[in-house]
Amino acid sequence: MFKIKALLSALLLAISLNAEAAMRVVTSTQDLAAITSAIGGKHVQVESLTLGTRDPHYAVAKPSMIHKVYRADLLIVVGADMEVGWLPPLIQSARNPRIQLGSSGYLDTSSVIPLLGKIQGPISRNMGDVHANGNPHYWLDPRNGIRMAKAITERLSILDPENSEVFQRRFNEFEKEIKEKLMAWQERLLHLNKKPVVAYHNSFLYLANAFNFNIVDEVESKPGIAPSAASLNSLVKRIQQEQIGFLIIEPYYEKRSANFLNKQTGIKVIVLPQSVGAYPEIMTYFDLFETIVQALEKAGDS
Amino acid sequence: MDYLCCRFQWLVAVGVLTLSPSVVLASDETDALRRQLVEMKQQMQSLQNAYEDKLNTLENRLSGLEEKSNKPASVNPAPSSPINSVRSDATGNSSDFQISLTGLFAAGGSSVDNDALEGLQAGAHDPNQNGFTVQNVELTIAGGVGPYFDAQANIIYQIDNEGETVVELEEAFFVTKSLPFGLQVKGGQYYTEFGRHNVLHPHNWSFVDTPIILTRFFGGDGLRSQGARVSWLAPTDWYSEVYFGIQNAKGETVTSFLNAAGEEIAGRTLLDRDVRDFNDLLYSVRWLNGFDVSDTLSMNIGLSGVWGPNASGLDTDTQIVGADMYFKWQPEYSQRGFPFVSSHTEILKRWYELGDNNDPSHDELRDTGFFTQVLWGFSPGWVAGLRAEHAYASGNTSTDPLRDNRSRLSPNLTWYPSEYSKVRLQYNRDWTQHLDEKTADSLFLQVEFSLGSHSAHKF
Repeated sequence: MFKIKALLSALLLAISLNAEAAMRVVTSTQDLAAITSAIGGKHVQVESLTLGTRDPHYAVAKPSMIHKVYRADLLIVVGADMEVGWLPPLIQSARNPRIQLGSSGYLDTSSVIPLLGKIQGPISRNMGDVHANGNPHYWLDPRNGIRMAKAITERLSILDPENSEVFQRRFNEFEKEIKEKLMAWQERLLHLNKKPVVAYHNSFLYLANAFNFNIVDEVESKPGIAPSAASLNSLVKRIQQEQIGFLIIEPYYEKRSANFLNKQTGIKVIVLPQSVGAYPEIMTYFDLFETIVQALEKAGDS
Repeated sequence: MDYLCCRFQWLVAVGVLTLSPSVVLASDETDALRRQLVEMKQQMQSLQNAYEDKLNTLENRLSGLEEKSNKPASVNPAPSSPINSVRSDATGNSSDFQISLTGLFAAGGSSVDNDALEGLQAGAHDPNQNGFTVQNVELTIAGGVGPYFDAQANIIYQIDNEGETVVELEEAFFVTKSLPFGLQVKGGQYYTEFGRHNVLHPHNWSFVDTPIILTRFFGGDGLRSQGARVSWLAPTDWYSEVYFGIQNAKGETVTSFLNAAGEEIAGRTLLDRDVRDFNDLLYSVRWLNGFDVSDTLSMNIGLSGVWGPNASGLDTDTQIVGADMYFKWQPEYSQRGFPFVSSHTEILKRWYELGDNNDPSHDELRDTGFFTQVLWGFSPGWVAGLRAEHAYASGNTSTDPLRDNRSRLSPNLTWYPSEYSKVRLQYNRDWTQHLDEKTADSLFLQVEFSLGSHSAHKF
């Protein structure tokens, strides 16, 4: 009898230990993973499906991803069509009832963001890779980072109510830190005020909004469509006429077009990381903006 | 709940307003004034941003309401928590209903005539005549069916060599999404999960035509039939999935099995054999493993087997086994998924019992074949490919186009102008025994367009 009791209590202990194991969170990008870690701390075990060095739109549903999503308690995605090419088959293959669309284990953070760049009027694929529901690169505005963190905090609290106070406290710290740093970052980039800037792809809309500069044109002739010789030449004219000083580009895009524009017009090419993990040293959401601000700060030295 | 978010934006704006003056500590008065001026400008900007945000939010709400009034029933999955509140979109962004139409056309010419070319290009969706071929126009409809099932249907339109339009139900199946223990059931009409290539629809192929050995074992349309399968994700440290399926063994899409009566194999005409018991069904198993070797290299390794009756006798059967390997390399920094190198190899073997035991000409046909293809995405939108294949069989098969010794080498070049279209040029060099010429050279130009929902990115 005693033996059975001991066995039972050992079993119960094992089960309860298992229940206390960190919640498994899988995110589509490293930015979401960084924010989730900031909120969840040791109570969550976070893995990102894609690397910050790559464009998350063009990921594929690799078998290792199926394995991760199958075991997840919570799946957090960027949404706004960012993962449209690979998330549906991934969710189907992973067959995890916890993370199905509409269940508490599925969080699309675009649902709490006022998205910019919505297409008004008729939409056609003649326009290139456009997103009718708005531009999905919203994590590049620190104020949206707070919104994402808030949504993540609330969701973690629903799934793990016992630690909700911890999540809320960590969120308050995160929010406070962003607000403080945002002031400092904005101050360091005062020289960008209203300046016209050219971007390679339309992924810096939110960054421009946060730091008050204007993206007047893109190197790509249409979103997702590589520039042609003609489109580059007309851009050369525009850069010269409007005296556009900077060209911002993600680390993974081809540099030939940017270098061509630099040679023709003298425009400064600034490589900006677009995600946590874009460089190995960018490990947190704060690191991301610190690196961006540093790069843009130097650009103002001339 | 929109007001929460607006209030929040206001807080940010007010925070900037109240905190920023304390930063001004410049001793020089003019400097301080200048900075104050700039800061005021910035504060104005923050306010403006906050307004813009607020306007955006209101706009979202408005458009959401408009859409709601247009659509009486929202197909959106109901969010289970009050968090999903700012954007009330019913625009289909988070809807999983997909509908698309892909058109696949080819123009080509060969050193051999149309009859010979049909023997070489044995896939029903291969370009197989001198001139133009409508390979495949495919309507795909897919989506969630309540909380327990997803479903998909693929309907194909094709124009045959006589100019007649052919409609075929390629696939129509349901698949469960929340069974326990890593189980998943799929049922209906579907491609048998055998190897990696068999389940691909023509617009997902990396070459304009089907590998030789697959057309020999699985016929022009690939191995597909009516039935059900269960798959299990094993609780391993890597991705490991086991499939087990039962399907009907009869029809022209199960060529190596009961096939259509009257068809021939190795000179023997097939009988009209029906299902009498469980032994007359088609059974299939597959074990697929996948893992990341590193951040830049991922791979799949699979083993498949399928067995069932064949119609060369009343009590004859067929077994097919196959092994497949796929790997894909992509550097740490990549633009739109480029550059990459991928390699896909499959090897298959078939044992086909020809005629019943008491039949004097009772025999076992043994056929083997492999193909290996390498793709190199060398620049965004551009992929160069090379495929090498060989197939051979037991016995004297030199006059049989479906069993002779045959090799083919196919280099190709594909350009994707956007995610929704492609243009492909492919050259085929054939070495074959059944043709008098012994070799054939063919050139194909293929164009594809895709309308509707964004199609899936294949690993």
